[in-house]
Amino acid sequence: MPTNREDPRTMNAAEVQQALKQVLMEVQKPARYTGGEFNSVIKDADKMDVRFAFCFPDTYEIGMSFLGEKILYELLNRHENWWCERAFMPWTDMKAQMEAHNVPLYTLESKTPLSQFDIIGFTLEYELCYTNILAMLRLSGIPLRAEDRDESWPLIIAGGPCVCNAEPMADFFDVMQLGEGEQMLQDICAAVEEGKKQGLNKQQLLEKLAGIPGVYIPSFYDVTYLPDGRIDSVRPNNPHAPEKITKAIVKDLDTFVPPENFIVPMIGAVQDRACVEVLRGCVRGCRFCQAGQIYRPFRERSPKLISDSARALCRNTGYDELSLTSLSTSDHSQLEEVLDRLNAWAEADHVSLSLPSLRVDNFSQSLVEKTTKVRKSGLTFAAEAGTQRLRDVINKNVTWEQIERTCTIAFREGYTSVKLYFMMGLPTETLEDIKGIADTAQKVVDLYYSLDHAKGKGVQVTISVACFVPKPDTPFQFCAQDRRETLREKQKYLLSCVHSRKIKVNYHDSATSVLEGVFAKGDRRLGRVIEMAFENGAFFDTWEEYFDYDRWLAAFQACGIDPDFYNYREIALDEVTPWAHLDVGVSQAFLAREYQKALRAETTQPCNRQCSGCGANKLLGGPCFEYSKDLV
Amino acid sequence: MNTVRIWFEKRGEAAYISLLDLQRVMHRALKRSGLPVWYTKGFNPHIYLAFSCPLALGQESLCESCEVKTEEESPNYDAWAEALRPALPEGLRLVSIGPAVMKMGRIQAADYTITLPADAAQALDAYNAQQSVLVEKKTKSGKKQLDLKQYIPSVSYTVKENQASFAIRLPAGDALNLNPALLVGYLQEQYGLPAWQCHILRTRIYAEDGREFR
Repeated sequence: MPTNREDPRTMNAAEVQQALKQVLMEVQKPARYTGGEFNSVIKDADKMDVRFAFCFPDTYEIGMSFLGEKILYELLNRHENWWCERAFMPWTDMKAQMEAHNVPLYTLESKTPLSQFDIIGFTLEYELCYTNILAMLRLSGIPLRAEDRDESWPLIIAGGPCVCNAEPMADFFDVMQLGEGEQMLQDICAAVEEGKKQGLNKQQLLEKLAGIPGVYIPSFYDVTYLPDGRIDSVRPNNPHAPEKITKAIVKDLDTFVPPENFIVPMIGAVQDRACVEVLRGCVRGCRFCQAGQIYRPFRERSPKLISDSARALCRNTGYDELSLTSLSTSDHSQLEEVLDRLNAWAEADHVSLSLPSLRVDNFSQSLVEKTTKVRKSGLTFAAEAGTQRLRDVINKNVTWEQIERTCTIAFREGYTSVKLYFMMGLPTETLEDIKGIADTAQKVVDLYYSLDHAKGKGVQVTISVACFVPKPDTPFQFCAQDRRETLREKQKYLLSCVHSRKIKVNYHDSATSVLEGVFAKGDRRLGRVIEMAFENGAFFDTWEEYFDYDRWLAAFQACGIDPDFYNYREIALDEVTPWAHLDVGVSQAFLAREYQKALRAETTQPCNRQCSGCGANKLLGGPCFEYSKDLV
Repeated sequence: MNTVRIWFEKRGEAAYISLLDLQRVMHRALKRSGLPVWYTKGFNPHIYLAFSCPLALGQESLCESCEVKTEEESPNYDAWAEALRPALPEGLRLVSIGPAVMKMGRIQAADYTITLPADAAQALDAYNAQQSVLVEKKTKSGKKQLDLKQYIPSVSYTVKENQASFAIRLPAGDALNLNPALLVGYLQEQYGLPAWQCHILRTRIYAEDGREFR
């Protein structure tokens, strides 16, 4: 689609800056669009060999909370002749102003239009942000489809968790990165720098990039389909492209120092605090959880590096709150040592600690004491399912006894509010399991009143219920998603089972979950649907006030594509999936085995106790744990 | 315990930092500086930090101030300035640090320099000729009508390089605070001046006795 805009490549940074003056007083929270934050990096544009625009397809407040961007921003900017800058999706008022005044999307650091960069990198965090990516390209005056861009346009690349099946976005990207970017993205920038010097054309550059571990060039693969619409094969059409792309990982987390110079937002970001990633991967193997599978294998950072980096980070940013992040922080084998090291300086530095992802099964008295010196807020637990049977199906190895023990400790420590996370629409789920959600919450309320508690202080139990979406690279990728009508009935039934005013129930509308399910397991044919929905006005689909389900249904219909084919259909264990050529480590055979165990309600041990043979250890080149050691 | 006043400029795109955000920005800058500022006692200790006479969003200033406390008996203010200067983000430039001589409650007036496009001259002449100029001022207890001419009977402006500019002094105390945007907003509305070409810069702050606030 051509745009009416003048060629944005002719507008310079000074002109953008001038035009912004007209715009910024007309929009809400203008500080989102100005840059100038402490620790943002300014370099001399004329001396750069590679200019990289890191784009987050959601608002500034959400994007600035994202750890991946902080990691890569620091790594790239350590190269003297590369400059990594940032851009976010402008809120609707700003987008309208920019369109009205012909201001192209620009980076916050230098105010340079995106179209003038060498590389534009998008984070694919969530399926419903896909339209925002198209909106950001359009605001930049850049052709949406990769095939419509020659080497005069920036190289458009993607990274992030959704790349494990980014086929629905394959038409729009030149390059996708499967796995962890620390090394891969630096290799890409180095290749681009070299390619510019050699005067490579786009095809030559892509062929060069195809050799970097983890790099996926969508246009180098042909997909063929069976008459019934399923995929027949995905094959490379270029000799430089590997049969399968294997995920890139950092084998030893201690070889990369975590970011110590976060950009400090002026306006409150969603996660506006210091955080240090303590481990990557997860030993648990919950069968619904995509992150738990695609970030394998499990790797830890050493306590000293965690503590030293955390301290430097707090000093460099001025943050007074530090959080230890990972999929499951309490699974760090030396967590007590980590906390002791942090506590040795945190109080004197006026920094408070929080552990966002505690688990009910290894939550101890000393852990609570080490993390609650400053604040006693609410406790959050992910129980995920209401009955033991269903928890076994999903391999969430949590028992009521553990919840009871944990809540007892927490209530004695003075906690009065508990949040319980559940899912609805899980495989094999019955109404008995739904009732179990309400029963669990009631038992927590009863537990509180059975203990000594401060007079007049009540307990608040919040049940938060999400709609389960089957995701690729999980044992439940084979399942069909529950239909909206079914989920609505289950929600209604859950409400009828709650009889206490101490229990609050939160749940979401499931229309967004439907689309999430379709795009999560979708294939390349969906690119047209995304483009059509976007052309018909879809963006900010993550925001309820802008999400229009009917617009999406119309786009599917106009493209002659049945969305139900993707999310309401079971996938056979030997079917070729749209993501079969994207290898994240865990094997299809392992996923099939786990799925069959799930249907028999059989659990699987955490990786650190017993290897379940998922296959991800091939990325390390050896076993993930020393099983001879006495591991808890 | 000593009370310390920090003077800084708020210019360029830093004009878009709201007061609420400015508090957070300064809090973190102080923390980065490592200065021995006093923390409140209590369950959630935080840096004692008080801003005087906050500036409206979008306006610039040469004379913003805030105060902190310290248990240092005789602070070396040159050393303080050296520590804080590099910890401030772009647009917030440290002017000086010294003992807080006056209490914040004594602030009563402020000077502003207003810059408008050159064709505003007509609008300003018209304003000067008016008997009264009624505008609405938002207060905590609702909207209130107010005659601008009572506080700004006339403005004497100069025109050069396509800009009309003038200085005004307005009340800026606890009892009465007049935002110069009331005048500028009125001119924009009545005479169609584009908002982005109207520029407000605060230049000085005064105590009730007419001396400069310190």
